[in-house]
Amino acid sequence: CSHSETSNSASGSKDTIKIMAPLLSPESPSDKSPSLKALEKYTGKEIKVTWVPDSSYNDKFNIVMASGEMPHAIVIKDKSAGFIKSVKAGAFWELSPYLKDYKNLSQADEKILKNSSVNGEVYGIYRTRDLIRACMIIRTDWLKNVGLDMPETLDDFYEVLKAFKEKDPDGNGKDDTYGMVVPKWMGLGNGSPWDVLQIWFGAPNRYGVENGKLIPDFTTKEYMDALTFFKKLYDEGLINKDFAVMDSAKWNDPVVKGKAGVIVDTGSRASQIQSAMEEADESNKDIIDIVGSLEGPNGKRTFPTSGYSGMITIPKSSVKTEKELKEVLSFLDKMNDKEAQILTNNGVKGRNYELKDGVFTSLEKNNKSLLYEHEGLAQFSMSIPKSEYYIEDQKTKLFQHRKDIITEGEKIAVFNPAESLVSDVYTQKGAQLDNIILDARTQFIIGEIDEKGFDDAVELWKKSGGNELMKDLNKLYQSSK
Amino acid sequence: METVPKKRDAPVLTAGKGISWMAALKRDKWLYLLLIPGLLYFLIFKYLPMWGVLIAFKDYSPYLGFWKSEWVGFDYFKDFFMNPDFFRLLRNTLMLASLDLLFAFPAPLILALLLNEVRKAVYKRCIQTFIYVPHFVSWTIVVSITFVFFTVDTGVINKLIMSLTGEQISFLSDADWFRPMIVMQSIWKETGWGTILFLAALATVDQEQYEAAIMDGAGRFRRMWHITLPAIRSTIIVLLILRIGSFLNLGFEQVYLMTNSLNRSVADIFDTYVYMMGITQGAYSYSTAVGLFKSVVGIILIFGANYIAKKFDQEGLF
Repeated sequence: CSHSETSNSASGSKDTIKIMAPLLSPESPSDKSPSLKALEKYTGKEIKVTWVPDSSYNDKFNIVMASGEMPHAIVIKDKSAGFIKSVKAGAFWELSPYLKDYKNLSQADEKILKNSSVNGEVYGIYRTRDLIRACMIIRTDWLKNVGLDMPETLDDFYEVLKAFKEKDPDGNGKDDTYGMVVPKWMGLGNGSPWDVLQIWFGAPNRYGVENGKLIPDFTTKEYMDALTFFKKLYDEGLINKDFAVMDSAKWNDPVVKGKAGVIVDTGSRASQIQSAMEEADESNKDIIDIVGSLEGPNGKRTFPTSGYSGMITIPKSSVKTEKELKEVLSFLDKMNDKEAQILTNNGVKGRNYELKDGVFTSLEKNNKSLLYEHEGLAQFSMSIPKSEYYIEDQKTKLFQHRKDIITEGEKIAVFNPAESLVSDVYTQKGAQLDNIILDARTQFIIGEIDEKGFDDAVELWKKSGGNELMKDLNKLYQSSK
Repeated sequence: METVPKKRDAPVLTAGKGISWMAALKRDKWLYLLLIPGLLYFLIFKYLPMWGVLIAFKDYSPYLGFWKSEWVGFDYFKDFFMNPDFFRLLRNTLMLASLDLLFAFPAPLILALLLNEVRKAVYKRCIQTFIYVPHFVSWTIVVSITFVFFTVDTGVINKLIMSLTGEQISFLSDADWFRPMIVMQSIWKETGWGTILFLAALATVDQEQYEAAIMDGAGRFRRMWHITLPAIRSTIIVLLILRIGSFLNLGFEQVYLMTNSLNRSVADIFDTYVYMMGITQGAYSYSTAVGLFKSVVGIILIFGANYIAKKFDQEGLF
């Protein structure tokens, strides 16, 4: 049944590249989109994209895998169980031997490549994202009102939270403020405020290494110290009492409405809060500031992301020969050239943006349809070795600080040593195992269980599959070293 | 209601002796033709997808597809019943389902009876329209509203309780409050909608009986007890049987959204478990096995309830 395919590959080239990608914008770029046309001209291929709404992307992925009619390149959002199963069944090309032959792809970051791998084997080309996003967001006007400086250590942090509760930072004479807002959070080690603070306290990122062996973070002393600190914050009313149930969509509200003064999350949330506050009152300019990391007992540390968001995989059933694979790879390589990055992220010059004396100005401000011409294309842009498209320079202090924490953070990031390890035990039982610890952490903070209770939860974790998981992970860890 | 003929298969369409089914088919060909779209709908959308439950007996991998995945027999069922989670899930599901049946099922009946006593037709119709509205509100919104009202410190209800008693109640995070909250939400959302069938049944009650009862000096409650309720008994029984059939279907969305770290011990039910295993962890075969188990229990319950209803000389469903 593959006659057409073989004859196609015999004649030497794939003229069309079919891609499946998630769609996050309300509209996908049309076939006539000038950006897409320009991209086709630049890469020398006809590009056919199957757009799938982001919310149902993983379901659709499974259906496509089962149908056997696969595109030449598929964007994978995360290492989902469905993806891992397909990898194990041999659905995708392992790319590590090939990457070195390509101008851009050969410069992929080793660490991120490893993070994105499946037990060290590279099944996709990662899409670069900022490695550092975590920070502490704070209202500087409140800080001034209570007469404190920007916090630098965890002790300062506590002082600030206490002052925000007790010293009437909004000056209305009422005891109606508190320190930090924490929302309900699903999952462990995926960047919740607790996860970030634990790192600052000196705990490892999910797994620590002791005598060359991986141990779970919640068995370390630093982890318990952090937990005790959280409990203190809760007991003294420095964080919201309903943090176990609070809707994370309303996370900014208490800060914007002047009920709380601190959030620990990403730099982009700081910008959101800043613009929301400016919208409410123009005098609120430069009111929000951030700190990348608070110094704890083990020095300055920060919580990194995995450095990528999803990857682009090449299925074996549609790309049958090595020759075809190389063609798809050289297409993907070209997508990382500066010209292609600009086309996918900024669009066409003179249409989507203007460039005067090197200063970039977007022409899409009040014209969303221009933005949609290329916004979706960025879904299969990888930015390897680095992003080279234009970013509108915002001259605010906050924007500058966001850039600073990225440069500063890369040096002090604490990585998860098991990021690339895919354990079958975790695939099968990970969610329940994580929930045991997640629940125990919450229960400990609000005082439903004590340290003994937490230890019991750890025992339960071990019995429910945790021991198996650690054994499996350590085996993978040793062989990946 | 007691006048149902013993032999219900009255010989209208099945025809008398001498007419073969071919002839019957020919005679009523237009009627059968009308049946085809309905049949096709059920075949294509209800029966055809059913073979998918077979993946409960396979080690399904999306890449290998249905046919190439390996048969594993009852392995996944065994895993499930041996799993320490099984009894917790069973207990939570049964508890929630029983509370639901006990409180949420009679609520529309009671409301319908009350509405039936309302004299002014305009007034009655207005109320009816109003109480339908929550049915069209999605669970996500219902849970958000619940949060706004019931959260500690800033929730209206807790502010009220605080001013009265000086203490707050953690409605949303206290495990003891989880089940009452779920049942209350269900009642708020679905009671109005549930009255439709009861009201339709109430409309068919012979008004002369009421008049006669009034003549005999029967009060409102006597009339309700001796006329209204017996008159709609069969409707109640049919709805009850249907409800029992879906006894274990508690609605994934609501429970999932209300679950948090502090109430998970009582909030995990079969539906949320299937979601976690199947969708988030990709254990397709395992979660299909769990889902199939649930369906089998549902079928047993529906036949059981029907059997019991017939024993008590009620009409039953089939």
